Amino acid sequence: MSDHILSAYDTELNELRSIVSRMGGLAGDQLVGSMQALKERDAEEAQRLRDADAELDRLEAKAEQAAIGVFARRAPVADDLREVVSALKMTSLIERMGDYAKNIAKRTLAISKNHPVVLPQTIETMAERAHQMIQNVMDAYAHQNAEAAVEVWESDEILDNLHNAAYRQILARMMETPEHINIYTHYLMIAKNLERIGDQTTNIAEQIYYTNTGNVLEDSRPKGDVTSVGKADE
Amino acid sequence: MVESMLKLAPEFENVTEQKLAKMTTKNVNVFYGSNHAVKNISLNLHRDEVTSLIGPSGCGKSTFLRCLNRMNDTITDCRIEGEITLDGEDIYNSKIDVVQLRARVGMVFQKPNPFPKSIYDNIAYGPRIHGLATARADLDEIVTNSLEKAGLWQEVKDRLNAPGTALSGGQQQRLCIARAIAVNPEVILMDEPCSALDPIATAKVENLIDELKGRYAIVIVTHSMQQAARISQKTAFFHMGDLIEHGDTTQIFTAPKKERTRDYITGRFG
Repeated sequence: MSDHILSAYDTELNELRSIVSRMGGLAGDQLVGSMQALKERDAEEAQRLRDADAELDRLEAKAEQAAIGVFARRAPVADDLREVVSALKMTSLIERMGDYAKNIAKRTLAISKNHPVVLPQTIETMAERAHQMIQNVMDAYAHQNAEAAVEVWESDEILDNLHNAAYRQILARMMETPEHINIYTHYLMIAKNLERIGDQTTNIAEQIYYTNTGNVLEDSRPKGDVTSVGKADE
Repeated sequence: MVESMLKLAPEFENVTEQKLAKMTTKNVNVFYGSNHAVKNISLNLHRDEVTSLIGPSGCGKSTFLRCLNRMNDTITDCRIEGEITLDGEDIYNSKIDVVQLRARVGMVFQKPNPFPKSIYDNIAYGPRIHGLATARADLDEIVTNSLEKAGLWQEVKDRLNAPGTALSGGQQQRLCIARAIAVNPEVILMDEPCSALDPIATAKVENLIDELKGRYAIVIVTHSMQQAARISQKTAFFHMGDLIEHGDTTQIFTAPKKERTRDYITGRFG
């Protein structure tokens, strides 16, 4: 895309893009770190990760200031307008992903105080999948690639299906070993957090699609998650 | 089924659209000698609607605007081809009275140009020469109404005999709009009407344009993207004599279809 005649405008847009990208990278790191702490029952690391979430909040506020500055000074229109509006929404979505990772860390603190209970393999697979989705959607953002964004949007069905599987698996273990029901409830919520991270990446993908095409992605995405409608354990 | 029956075939839709339009232009070309300044422009202009013409200097937007009330007639070497209609009637037909046409299609210029007369006479001049009123009471009513519609009445009602040129720039421009309104126009053309005004005076004129759009078809040439976005319902982007894109203003400013429109409105023109 060609540059603006006013180079300061490009500088401001690049600054905003850079904050969004940093936030995406940080949210991905937070997820990986939280899962590592969970697997290792590392309470100290879990606490550090909870505290590190503040950096995402700080960056979100910084992005908001940058976007408001662009509105005030540049009165953006067309694709510039779409980009700045989308950046504002994306930073909220990324910050929310950070909150889900933080929640995993918070649950790790509780889990680490209890008797060790094997982490269901499906949760680990879900986390790898969710992390891949974050990376893919942030790549689509960096390259402003609407097609790559649509691929992420469509791939959420895989994570939804994994979530259904995890849900069934955890329920079965709750019944087998009711004495660990407390831990398994945490695992259930962690699986839900991972599923929600996937949802956030699809929302981010929608913003990238809108920025680059000017069209809204039709809400016809295949939704695989059935845990909330009582079908997962049928 | 019913919907599909009610929906007109595209060719008829176009005919209906043209019938509803206050003014239509079809394949309009303007030449200044050998310079082809406006190329094949077809646009419909409606009552209840403000249309902004935007584009870089020399793109043909003002030339096109001036075709709509034959202001180019006086320019030697200027040749106009194509068809421009007002209520379906060709305005370049030899039977058309150009003075009457310019009453029906009024114009407001970049620089406020009140006559060197009183505020009252600035407004009364048009109705007098067009024979719209001769009795003083009728003229008084036209002057009052026009100044009220132009949002100027409260500011000048106690000094109607003061010279129009003594008003501030913004007031002078609203006086010129009142003057255009006084002869009951159907279309008002404005050529950068706010470029000489400060933001407050601009806001007053823009507010006036917004209020007037219910009664007239308004066409405005502007260099301010924000002004086009603020006040118009339709925007037409001209470039080197061509009409590149014409559409709803919101669509043009959020998701223009043509790259050249995008480049111009976002400030990427090289």
